[in-house]
Amino acid sequence: MGMERPPTGHDVELAASAAAGDRQAYGELVRRHGSTVRGLLRRLGADSASADDLAQDAFMTGFEQVADYRGEGTFGAWIKKIAARLYLKKVRRDARLIFSDNAEPVEEVMVRDASGDAASRIDLDEALKALSRGERLCVSLCYGADWSHAEAAEALNIPIGTVKSHVKRGLDKLRAKLARPEEGARREAHG
Amino acid sequence: MAEPDFEAQLSRMFAEPPSFPDAALFNAEMAAKLDRGWAMRRMFIGAAGVAAGLIAAFQILSTRFSSEVSQLSKSSSHSFETEISAGVAKFNAVLTTPSSAEAVWLAAGLAVVAIAFFVTRVVEDF
Repeated sequence: MGMERPPTGHDVELAASAAAGDRQAYGELVRRHGSTVRGLLRRLGADSASADDLAQDAFMTGFEQVADYRGEGTFGAWIKKIAARLYLKKVRRDARLIFSDNAEPVEEVMVRDASGDAASRIDLDEALKALSRGERLCVSLCYGADWSHAEAAEALNIPIGTVKSHVKRGLDKLRAKLARPEEGARREAHG
Repeated sequence: MAEPDFEAQLSRMFAEPPSFPDAALFNAEMAAKLDRGWAMRRMFIGAAGVAAGLIAAFQILSTRFSSEVSQLSKSSSHSFETEISAGVAKFNAVLTTPSSAEAVWLAAGLAVVAIAFFVTRVVEDF
């Protein structure tokens, strides 16, 4: 018996095969997008164990509904949407979805990249810790899961203005956090 | 830095998939979960087939029996006990006449096919 080669092709083709019951094709989609979904869930605020459980649930839900994905938008955006909805459902169930103006300490949840070749990502993960839970959620939904403000407001059951203000405050904090290394480097260069 | 530039930069940063040292393990767990889900689905379909076969068999029998009873009540002026006993007799006749026996055998055959399908699926999966 020869070694089975992993399925190849575009995500849309793999999704079509998966809709016809091809689990290997769907496995390839998991391989391609697994880390993205796991990362998104951590950035939304899930701890490592919950994030991985939710990522698995999201992919299982995705497999059941993959016939609904017809290639409008990327598969990555589609599966991230499912994952984000599952996360929101979980935090609502756990009654942990609290929007406050005070920055709450956010749990250390990000996995360090041992290779150290993604400085910007590590910076983002570090910077996200400075945001309150609400800010972090709104920013991650809008920039990580590609949700519109309106979609986020509807899913979170809060006014769109609240989402916008959380995003704005979150962006301000991130800008300040992410600008610091650049400014430091610039000062060193000029000094 | 202008706002749109920063937002574009942020989107790019979010789009970078993190590197997880246990990515292979996660993929393997997902593959196992997909296989289990698929096996469960096939078992469910098999079980549903068996249940449907049995329900169909009972339906065929009960429909024929009740039609025989209604024919009896319309055409005869016998007493209630007589009707019941005649109905029981008719029911027995239903099971023994060639056409009814055909229906029973058909239903039993369907049930056996469904069970065979179920067993085949289970054997394939385990």
